[in-house]
Amino acid sequence: MNPRPDPNQLTAPDDGIARGGVLLDVKNVSLSFGGVKAITDISLDVLKGEIRAIIGPNGAGKTSMLNVINGFYTPQEGAIIFRGRERRSMKPHEAVGQGIARTFQNVALFKGMSTLDNIMAGRSVMMKRNIGWQMLWHGPALREEIEHREKVEEIIDFLEIQHIRRTPVGKLPYGLQKRVELGRALAMEPTLLLLDEPMAGMNLEEKEDMSRFIIDVNQQRGTTIALIEHDMGVVMDLSDRVVVLDYGKKIADGPPDEVKNNQDVIDAYLGVPH
Amino acid sequence: MFYRTAGQFKTSYQADHALFPVRQDAFLLGVILIFAFVIFPLTASEFTFRALLIPVLIYSLAALGLNILTGYAGQLSLGTGAFMGVGAYACYKLITIFPEMNIVVAIAMSGFFSAAIGVLFGLPSLRIKGFYLAIATLAAQFFLVWLFQKWAWLYNYNASGAIQVPNIEMFGITVAGPRATAITQYYFVLCVVCVITFFAINITRGRIGRMWKAVRDMDIAAELVGINLMRSKLMAFFVSSYVVGIAGALFVFLWRGAAEANLFDIPLSFRVLFIAIIGGLGSILGNFLGAILIVALPVIIGSVPQAFGIPLDSAMVEHLNIMIIGALIIAFLIIEPHGLARFWAMIREKFILWPFPH
Amino acid sequence: MEFLNDVLVQPFADMAAAPDFLLQVLWEGLVGGVLYALIALGFVLIYKSSRIFNFAQGIMVVFAALTLVGLYEKGVPALLALPLTLAVMLVLAMTIERVVLRPLVNQPDIILFMATIGITLFLIGFGELIFGGENKVMITEQLFIPTGSIVFEPFGGFVSIEEKDLTAVIGAMVLVAALLVFLNKSKIGRAIRALGDDHQAALSVGISLSTIWVIVWFIAGVIALATGIVWGARAGVSFALEVIAFKALPVLMLGGLESVMGAIIGGLAIGILEKLFEIYWGQPLLGGNTEAWFAYMLALLVLLFRPQGLFGEKIIERV
Repeated sequence: MNPRPDPNQLTAPDDGIARGGVLLDVKNVSLSFGGVKAITDISLDVLKGEIRAIIGPNGAGKTSMLNVINGFYTPQEGAIIFRGRERRSMKPHEAVGQGIARTFQNVALFKGMSTLDNIMAGRSVMMKRNIGWQMLWHGPALREEIEHREKVEEIIDFLEIQHIRRTPVGKLPYGLQKRVELGRALAMEPTLLLLDEPMAGMNLEEKEDMSRFIIDVNQQRGTTIALIEHDMGVVMDLSDRVVVLDYGKKIADGPPDEVKNNQDVIDAYLGVPH
Repeated sequence: MFYRTAGQFKTSYQADHALFPVRQDAFLLGVILIFAFVIFPLTASEFTFRALLIPVLIYSLAALGLNILTGYAGQLSLGTGAFMGVGAYACYKLITIFPEMNIVVAIAMSGFFSAAIGVLFGLPSLRIKGFYLAIATLAAQFFLVWLFQKWAWLYNYNASGAIQVPNIEMFGITVAGPRATAITQYYFVLCVVCVITFFAINITRGRIGRMWKAVRDMDIAAELVGINLMRSKLMAFFVSSYVVGIAGALFVFLWRGAAEANLFDIPLSFRVLFIAIIGGLGSILGNFLGAILIVALPVIIGSVPQAFGIPLDSAMVEHLNIMIIGALIIAFLIIEPHGLARFWAMIREKFILWPFPH
Repeated sequence: MEFLNDVLVQPFADMAAAPDFLLQVLWEGLVGGVLYALIALGFVLIYKSSRIFNFAQGIMVVFAALTLVGLYEKGVPALLALPLTLAVMLVLAMTIERVVLRPLVNQPDIILFMATIGITLFLIGFGELIFGGENKVMITEQLFIPTGSIVFEPFGGFVSIEEKDLTAVIGAMVLVAALLVFLNKSKIGRAIRALGDDHQAALSVGISLSTIWVIVWFIAGVIALATGIVWGARAGVSFALEVIAFKALPVLMLGGLESVMGAIIGGLAIGILEKLFEIYWGQPLLGGNTEAWFAYMLALLVLLFRPQGLFGEKIIERV
C-alpha cells in the first residue's frame, strides 16, 4: 500500500483537536451481561485522522467494544472521553449528533427502502423542517430536501452506486449492500466512523474496492476510522495502529508490524489453552 | 405504449421531486379526479352515493390513517375502530357544546382528541414490540368502547345511548344531519379526503416518512443512524390517530347520521385493517383500492345471485360475505402479500416496457 | 377521602364480611381462567412449532362446539358426533396446512397473522352458513357430563359448585397433563419443540414440516373442542362466544408467547382477577362490565415492566 502522509502535517477540519491528537479515549471499561463478562478493563485511544483497527478471535468482545463506543451498551465501569468530553451513558441517537457513525457486522440497512432513501435517512438528524412544511412539500421543506439530496448524490458518486439509486436495498447483492451502508454512515458526516467487519463475505475485487473507499474517506474527508476486520492482510495494510482483544481483554496495542510479532497475539490466534 | 417514460429527462432535483415525475401518472390521476368530481356526481343515484361512493372514501381515509402507523412506521394496531370512535364522539361534543362552530373546524379539531388518545396508547410501543404491541391497541379498543357506553356525558345522556347528528349548515347548505342531500355529503367527504391524502403523500415521501420506514425496517439501526425512536413512533401514532379520528367523525356525521358505541367495536377495526392489508401496507393508493373491494363486495354478493334468479336472504348474504372476505384475504396474502397496490405497480411496469417482455 | 375509602378499603371489607361469597367468586373466576388457559394453550402450541400468531384459535373453539351440536341436531347420535367432530377438526387442520400455511411459508409474521384472521372470518361465515347463526344449547347430558351442583357451607355460608364446572376443571387438568407428557416424552413432541427452536435446523435433521403442522393444528383443534364443550355448557354455543377468542390474547401476553406454564398460570390469574375486580370494584364503582377490558389493561401494565411477559425469555438486543 502507498505510504500514508504524516498525520501531523494536516490541520484538523473542525472541533479544535489537532490531527494526531486524542479524539476518543476509552478508559478501563468493563461490560458484562448478567454473569458473562464481555469486556474486562480495556483502555484504548483513537487519534484524530488515523485508521485504528480492532482485531481478535471470535467472541473477543470487538463488536461489544463498538457498541460501547456508540452508546448502544452502557459499560458498568470505566469512562469514555470523546472530543475531550466525558460521558457515562447516552442514547445511541445522541452519538450521531456528537459525530459518531457506524456500519454493522450483518448489514443493517432499511430493506424496504431504496438506496437513495437509505442514504437520505442517514441525514435525518440534520434535517429540521417541521411537519407543517412537509405536508405542503413547498418552500423550506422542498429546499431542504433538495439541499440534502445534492450531498447524498455526491456520496453516491463517490461510492459509484449511481445505477442502483432507485433499487430497494433488500434486492441488492451483499457486496453492494455493504457499500450502501457505508454511504449511509458517510451521509452523517461523522468525525469518527466505526466499521464493523466492512469486508466480511466479500470477494477479492469487492475487498479492493472497499479498501480504496476506506482510504479515500480517511484521506479526502479527514474522517477518523475505527474498524473491526478479520482479513489480516487488509488490517495490516490499512491501519495505522492495531489493538488486539482476546476473551474481553486487551492483549496487544501498537503499529501493525509490532502487533504481528507479538507472542500473545500469535497464541490467541493459534490457540493456546487458557 | 401509453406509459412511455423514455424521453422524460429530469434536469433538476426539483423536477425529480415533483409529485408525479412520470407524466402519464399525473394524466391518469387527472382522469380519476374528473370522474370523482364531475362524472360520478352527474350519474350516481342516491343509493350509489350512500352504499358505495361515500363509504369507500371514508374507509379509504381510515385505512390511510392506519397505514401510516402499520404500513409506514411498522406498529401493528388492532384498535382503529375505537380511535374512529374518539373522533366521532369528540366531534359530537364539539358540535353540541358550540353549535355555532363550523363543521370543518369541528372535524379538524376532533382529530386532535383521537391523536392525543392515540399517543397515550402509543406510549407502550416504546417498550413493547410486534405482537405484544397489538395488546396495547386492543386494550384501547375494548376500554374506549366500554367508556363510550358507560360515560353518559359523551352522548349527552340520551336515553337511547346513541349519538344523533343534528342538521348542520355550512354557508347556507345543509351538509350533515337528516336534511342533507347525498351529493353535498359526497362532495364534502371527497374534498376532505383529497386534502388529507395530499398531505399524507408529502409526509410519507419526505424526511418524516423516511424516519418511519427506517423504524419499521430495522428499529435498532434507525436509532444508530440518529433517529429518535420515541419521537418517530409517537409522531406516527399522533398523525395516524389524527387521520383515523377525522375518518371517524366523517363516518358518523357525513354517512351514518347516528352511532352507538358498539359500532366502533372490533369488527370495524378489522374491516379497516383488511382494507389496509388487501390494498397494500406501506402504500397510499392501496387504501383506496382495498376500500373499493371491501365496500363493493357485499353489494356484489347481494345482487349477482339475484340477477341470475337465485334469491338469497339477507342473513345468507351476510354469512357468505364474511366467508368470502376471509377466503379473499387468504388468497390475496398468498398471491401478492404486498396487496393491490403492488399489483398495480406491476401492471404499470409492464405498460412502461410494453411491447418488450423485460 | 371517601373515594380512597371506596377504592382501597370498602372492597376488602366486603370480602371479609362475606367469605362464602368471596369463595364463590374465586371459584367462578377459576373456572373462567381454566377456559382461558385452554385457549391460550392451543395457541402456544401453534406458536411454538410454527411461529404463527394464530388468531383463529378462539374461533376454532366455537367452530368445534358448533359442529358437535350441529351434527347432533341433524340427527347424529351424541357419541358418534364426538368422533365425527374430531374428524372434522383433522380435516380442518389438513386443509389449513395445505391451503394456507404451505403457500405462505417464509412470509413475514404479520402476513401469517393476517392469514389466521382470514381463517377466522372464513370459519365464522362457513359455520353460520351451515349450522345457522342462532344460539344453541350444548349437549351436556348426552355426553354424560353431570349437571347437578354440589353445595358447601363454609363459614356458616353457602357456596355452590356446578358439577359440569368441576368436570371442566378436572378434564382440563387431565388434558394439560397428557399434553405435557406428549410434548416432553414422545418423538413427535420432541420434533414439535425442535421446529419451534429453528425451522431450518429441524428440517435438516429430517423432520417433516407439513406433518408436524397438521399434527399441531389438530391437537389445537382437540383442545378447542374440549374448550368448546365446557364453555358451551356454561354459555351456550354461538359465534357470540368469539369474545373469548380475544381473551386468550392478554393471557398469552401475560404468560409469554412460548410458555405452556405461562399460558396456564396467565389464564388462571386473569380469570380470577377479572372476576374479583368486576365484583368488588367494577360493579360498585365503574358501572360494571369491566371484564370487557380488565384483562388487557392488566396485561398492558405487566408488559410495561416485563416486555417479554411473565414467563417469556428475556430479549437481549444485539446488532
